[in-house]
Amino acid sequence: MKQLVFILSVLTACFLSSVMAQSVCLPAPRLLTTTPMGAQVGQTLEVVLTGDNLDGATSLTFSHAGITAVPQKDDQGNEVSNTWVVSVAKDCPLGVHDAHVMTRLGMSSARAFTVGSLPEVTRTAANTTLDKAMPLQLNSICNASVSSRQVDFYSFEASKGQRLILDCAAKGIDSRLKPVLVVADANGADLQVERRGGAIDFKVPATGRYTVKVNDLTYNGGATYFYRLAIREVGMDAPVIRHPSTSPVHRASWPPAGLTEEGVTAETEPNQNGSVQSVSLPCDIRGSFFPAADVDTYEFVAKKGEVWWVEVASERLGRPTDPSVVIQHVAKENENETLTDVVELNDIPSPVRTSSNGYSYDGPPYNIGSSDVLGKLEIKADGVHRLHVRDLFGGTRSDPRNVYRLIVRKAQPDFALAGWAMHMGLRNGDRNALSKPIALRGGATMPIEVVVIRRDGFTGEINLQMSNLPDGVTATGLKIPAGKSVGTMLITADQNAPRGFTSAQFTGTAMINGTEVVRECRLASMAWPVPNAKSEIPAPRLMADIPVSVGGQEFAPLSIAAAGDEVFEVTEGESLTVPLVNVRRCEFQGATMSLRTFGDGFAGNGLFDLSLDSETNDAVLNLATLKTKPGDYTIAFYGGGVAKYQHRRHEIATAESQLAVVKQKAEAAATAADQAKKAAAAATDEAKAELERSAKDAEQQKKAADAQVKEAEEQLRAANRTAAPKDIVDIIVTRPIRIRVNAKAK
Amino acid sequence: MEASPRLRKSLHGAVMKLESSLLRLVAPLACALASQNALADDPAVSFRNDVLPILTKAGCNAGTCHAKAGGGQNGFQLSLLGFEPTEDFEAIVKEARGRRLFRAVPRESLLLRKATGQTPHGGGVRLQADSHGYRTLQSWIAQGSPYATENEPLLTSITVEPSRGIVRMNADQQLQALATYSDGLTRDVTQSALFESNDDAMAEVSENGLVRTSNIPGKVSVMVRFGGQVAVFTAAVPLGAPVESLPAPNNFIDDHVFGNLKQIGVPPSPVSDDATFLRRVSLDIAGRLPTPEETTAFLESEAADKREDAIERLIRSPGYADYFANKWTSVLKNRRDDTNDIISNFAFHAWIRDSLLANVSYDQLVKELLAATGTIVSNPPVAWYKRVKDPKEQLEDVAQLFLGVRMQCAQCHHHPFERWSQDDYYSLAAFFTRIGRKPTGVAGEDLIFHKRGLATAKNVKTGADLVPAALGDDVGKISADEDPRLRLANWMASRENPFFAKAVVNRYWKHFFRRGLIEPEDDIRETNPPTNPELLAALESHFVESGFDLKELVRVMTRSKAYQLSAVPNEHNLVDRQNYSRYYPRRLQAEVILDAIDDLTGARTSFANLPAGTRAVALPDNSYNRSSAFLQVFGRPNSQSVCECERVQSSSLAQSLHLINSSEIKGKLAVGGGRAARLQSAEISHEQRVKELYRVAFSREPRGDELSTAVAYLIEPIEDASGKPLSEPAALKQNLQDLIWALMNTKEFLFNH
Repeated sequence: MKQLVFILSVLTACFLSSVMAQSVCLPAPRLLTTTPMGAQVGQTLEVVLTGDNLDGATSLTFSHAGITAVPQKDDQGNEVSNTWVVSVAKDCPLGVHDAHVMTRLGMSSARAFTVGSLPEVTRTAANTTLDKAMPLQLNSICNASVSSRQVDFYSFEASKGQRLILDCAAKGIDSRLKPVLVVADANGADLQVERRGGAIDFKVPATGRYTVKVNDLTYNGGATYFYRLAIREVGMDAPVIRHPSTSPVHRASWPPAGLTEEGVTAETEPNQNGSVQSVSLPCDIRGSFFPAADVDTYEFVAKKGEVWWVEVASERLGRPTDPSVVIQHVAKENENETLTDVVELNDIPSPVRTSSNGYSYDGPPYNIGSSDVLGKLEIKADGVHRLHVRDLFGGTRSDPRNVYRLIVRKAQPDFALAGWAMHMGLRNGDRNALSKPIALRGGATMPIEVVVIRRDGFTGEINLQMSNLPDGVTATGLKIPAGKSVGTMLITADQNAPRGFTSAQFTGTAMINGTEVVRECRLASMAWPVPNAKSEIPAPRLMADIPVSVGGQEFAPLSIAAAGDEVFEVTEGESLTVPLVNVRRCEFQGATMSLRTFGDGFAGNGLFDLSLDSETNDAVLNLATLKTKPGDYTIAFYGGGVAKYQHRRHEIATAESQLAVVKQKAEAAATAADQAKKAAAAATDEAKAELERSAKDAEQQKKAADAQVKEAEEQLRAANRTAAPKDIVDIIVTRPIRIRVNAKAK
Repeated sequence: MEASPRLRKSLHGAVMKLESSLLRLVAPLACALASQNALADDPAVSFRNDVLPILTKAGCNAGTCHAKAGGGQNGFQLSLLGFEPTEDFEAIVKEARGRRLFRAVPRESLLLRKATGQTPHGGGVRLQADSHGYRTLQSWIAQGSPYATENEPLLTSITVEPSRGIVRMNADQQLQALATYSDGLTRDVTQSALFESNDDAMAEVSENGLVRTSNIPGKVSVMVRFGGQVAVFTAAVPLGAPVESLPAPNNFIDDHVFGNLKQIGVPPSPVSDDATFLRRVSLDIAGRLPTPEETTAFLESEAADKREDAIERLIRSPGYADYFANKWTSVLKNRRDDTNDIISNFAFHAWIRDSLLANVSYDQLVKELLAATGTIVSNPPVAWYKRVKDPKEQLEDVAQLFLGVRMQCAQCHHHPFERWSQDDYYSLAAFFTRIGRKPTGVAGEDLIFHKRGLATAKNVKTGADLVPAALGDDVGKISADEDPRLRLANWMASRENPFFAKAVVNRYWKHFFRRGLIEPEDDIRETNPPTNPELLAALESHFVESGFDLKELVRVMTRSKAYQLSAVPNEHNLVDRQNYSRYYPRRLQAEVILDAIDDLTGARTSFANLPAGTRAVALPDNSYNRSSAFLQVFGRPNSQSVCECERVQSSSLAQSLHLINSSEIKGKLAVGGGRAARLQSAEISHEQRVKELYRVAFSREPRGDELSTAVAYLIEPIEDASGKPLSEPAALKQNLQDLIWALMNTKEFLFNH
């Protein structure tokens, strides 16, 4: 086991060093692997972590309180680095939870940790050839990772007639593996193969031993290519239940608030090729795009002027589909029908332009949009209408699991939110897609970009709030203006904010039809820091919770705030000068930094330069140009700066003091050795032998102390090397600034 | 049409007034005019029906001469092979201010002077002045160069007489081309028609339609073209040798092959022995040598159906899927142009391989490819649309690969040897016009979806918007909501489709029998008939009846006695190249040789991004050619073309040198833990060592003389560079390497036979 952990650590370290080399932004704690990647409910087990900047870890926490962890201790009672004893309560919900570890720099990014019902094992010995296949029990889960250019082999015994489901969790638990799963005979000859992330439904043809092979689609491998392999026996007619998985970002808009299973009707076949299923509006239907090229047609009667909203979920139910809806008016004359298109609905577009993965940053690498459908239906003429729903990806795919839910409803204005740590163009194109945990340094303000999917014609403004924050941390929402799609949440740690973390609540609030509506804002992050999105597809997902933390060990390189905590008042159409105060804690490249402006009413403010050498600057806002209307606003300025950051600078002081201690010991040892040598030289014959032995011992102690000095000197040199100033490009945001624009006197 | 009376009158007056001295000068003109009168009195000549066929026969409108498609030499542009008569008429009569014709003196027309070489002509002499064609052109000019004559009938069809027959070897057969017109009349157009043999080695044909056969027996065809119409003469050329005994047939293939052999008098070679069969079928189905264990078990088995068992075992094995996936991915252009293509290429290759392993029916496989939607990772056949983006290229590839029809010509002009027009071309393109694309997270990769709307494609020549039609077949109205590609796929898979099944059974026939029943295998047309049409029809029918079952196709072919015939010719059938009277040996493919060498030497070639032990036949794309000199030298294709001809199967000096003297081969022979090293250290006799090598290399036991020669070589002492004898074990190891090297360089090893 220890050997495995060592191998995993080495592989991860190699991977991480390559990431770090190309990374921008300040070092952040990232939890990258847990071994194993899950546990059986009620189990207590050892879990080994690897990651980026995990030093100084003090606690391992999970998004559900039913999973707890304490540090693993060795025989001497010392804590074993990155090793924890995790207990899963018997009543912990099954599914994927998030694990995160509180490090020196704060709470790490999350890593999926699955709680299941089956017994679990972790592979401990290499199984990359058929003769070393690891035996597996039916109805169990094996945790492992594939190595580069290798295939993992397993074996199991099964009886003729059994139905087994072989399933390999990978992407859904944050792995980089694109699994290829093969069931083969005892000699390793392939029988069934699955390469698209699906499960294998295996009807055992003859009693005997079988082989399972697992590898990556392109034979990549390493510690980050982990998986959970399950072999489950099921009844002949039982549905295939897959491994649970994390939620993709587009799932943020599903389900609509208050959606229940009540009143859902099932699609009734045949409802294609001329046959229709009659429904009345509103309706809520569950159907499937099956068989291949299936087009389901629903017929209803509607009157001119009626307005309905149509929503289809299928991709958001986890299916690889692209639903499309066409609604036609049916005019009948005798036996002849004339069909007239009323509306065609495709896709829920991203509210913001997303990254095109070109050389330069041109949008966030997150897409809350979906290939599902959400749109408006305005009835143009009385009479019969037909709604056709089809899967634009379904021409040749015949899979009854490709289900959809079709809802046609009267307007129920609403919204769904998702946010992510802001990305922006920094330098060299910045194709990074980084996981950015909300792990704050003292004096830092972290911007979260928030986007909204608006439902059923809702256009009002949405205020953003966060609560349950750590001490010394405040969050200020820059609202999503009416009719717009993007807002910002600024999370600020005071300079002296103490170390701590909480699981925060993040919500948006809007007035809809005179009622205050509050909706949760889901936070998205990357499963992996991707240095170059051209060569590796970033893997964003929704987080199970929103940990906010302060490391309490480091400070932001630069803090900028308005002088004073006042509300700056200005008259409509006039200019406002906001005095800014810089607190710079390290050197920066260049004398100035260009700033833009966040916040409704002020986002149009042009770029302006901030002097990094000066402790104070003035930001001038020309309201005549901005045409900001009277009211209360919150804004912030932001830009990218290149700091000369010293990584783990505190380790220099530690190494220095350690060196001083061992030097002192070495001096004492040298003195003692010298004295013992002299004493031996001057000793009488009877005492000589004893004193010479003492002198020899003292000399050895001196040598050992000298070696410790050398080691401490090397540690100091290493600490100095690590802390050598390096260019780190980071997003720097001012603390929020409140402005009141007064109406011009008439 | 007669010359105008006014012209005749004025000429007459002029001659009367001429002085004698002038007579000499004008005499030629007068003669010419007199001659013109005679020409004018000739039967009426039509440009469309008479002139154009002559120009075509003379090659004037060929691609390299004045055809527009080829650029049209010196600004004189005609439609390729005369498929656009009105445009050609304009070009000859009116273009260049009419300077190409001189009606007053037709023979002085630039058209005729160039054609006869009287005026320097880059194309040389195309017409003799005394030829039928020349006189026809002259008459046409003299008659005022009309486009058509009054109430002129239209050409409706041509036939050739005879259309089929038996022609002895080294004999002549005169063909007659007959044109039938809309008025019901038939004309002999042999003089104006073009004749072309499909196999010059078997039969040559003169420009006047005289066929002369050679001494090769079999079927040969002559294509006859006239006025855009084609007809075919098919001749059976018998050897006439006595066919006294034929193997008992195993299935319908044998009935047809042996029936044909009997008809043409070519006695077949006997059925091959077990060792040869096992090696052959293993190489042809799974692209690998049989293992020594398989060979021993097979040779020792006395089961009556052991050949069938071996075929079943191979068809079920992953090796079958690997080998045929290798065949298909190449022609489906699974090409690595960019490092980032690796995921899509691996996924696409795996999709084909897994589908073959699971024996997904061929029609379903093609449908999944043709109508693919979604992302590559979730639906790998989408990768084909990443590689082949242009609808025109899509239709051309689909037509050539799955229908055996080459449509490329019809994009710009009527297909010269076929009935395909530009309308056919663009109607086929229309199936691919509703393919929607959206960018994905992967740079350069789109996801594919059906974009709602009516599918149409514009004929760039006529400007007409054409709805989808499958090679002229009406597939019915396709609504805006239907993906037209599905309709095309359904049309392909219909039982009546004349192309789909034929194309693939012919392709697979070629795989197992070296020569397609139609050659090239992807050029199926009426003018390129199969050598054994009854057999092809039976195969087609069997394939369709089996539900487009590819494994059954492999099974039925390899089970036939025809497939199992010996490659050793008898006294009669050495000349046979197309009747399958024996197995035609062929060099192994690049990947198969590399794997076979690895099997023989015990070495393993390492391929980037793939696990150790991956065989060359299982390589997912062409990128490995760049790093493997072996694969390059032995002609592994680069997936640039839809044609299997991209794979080089011929032999070359470079191949021989590589096998004889390359460091790669030397390294394999001497690899640590390889066969030579293992055999040297094994406690077995020299005879056993030699027998193992023969079983691996040739799947047979060595003959007595081979055994004694090899054993004698193994015990030969060797001296090192300084003349000092090597130790016995060292010498044995060296001798084993030499012996393996020698076996590797035999034709028996390098060929499937």
